[in-house]
Amino acid sequence: MAKVMVSLPDDLLAEVDAEARRGGTTRSAVMREFADAALHRRRESRAAAMRALLKDASPHGGHAAELVKATRPDS
Amino acid sequence: MTSLLLDASVLLAAFDSEDDQHEPARALLEDDAVALATLDLARYEVANVAVRAWRAPDSAAPLLAAVERLADDSGVLSSSSALLARAVEIAEQHVISVYDAAYAAAANEAGRRLVSCDERDLVSKGLAVLPADAKPK
Repeated sequence: MAKVMVSLPDDLLAEVDAEARRGGTTRSAVMREFADAALHRRRESRAAAMRALLKDASPHGGHAAELVKATRPDS
Repeated sequence: MTSLLLDASVLLAAFDSEDDQHEPARALLEDDAVALATLDLARYEVANVAVRAWRAPDSAAPLLAAVERLADDSGVLSSSSALLARAVEIAEQHVISVYDAAYAAAANEAGRRLVSCDERDLVSKGLAVLPADAKPK
């Protein structure tokens, strides 16, 4: 696991430390958990939005990569 | 965490139910266990295919919305002079277009695996993997 230095405002650090005390864990563990949860929420949100968009997928004949090349300006 | 960069062909395959890579491409976009990004070039390429190849301009909006959802995830990387300089090197080395090489350069710069449906110019040269092979087994 990599070790990093992070700059935080004093009041945010105080909240992180309070959370660590409350959970009986470390400052590093709290920050790992929060970062992981935030990134997971972001991925979940994207996945849900994609499911909604892809409900309307329709037939277009396939060959996506070839069509990308065929419609480029120098083609 | 698997971090991937998708080229335009993956987005297009996900929205085209007749594409050979439709199911794996769709599964990737709907997978909340991978972090996804793309390059700004994808905006032009998906819209171009919708309008000029599919003759379905209405399809451009959901494709562009999908690009924006990637922007909300791990981002839409910007083409820069430095990125294109690297793309030129890759294009020369692998005898591919600078467009294709730009995705490879972006993936390399971001430390991500490039995913593409382009077997001829990217997958066969080891620069990308197909959607079905994007996640570690």
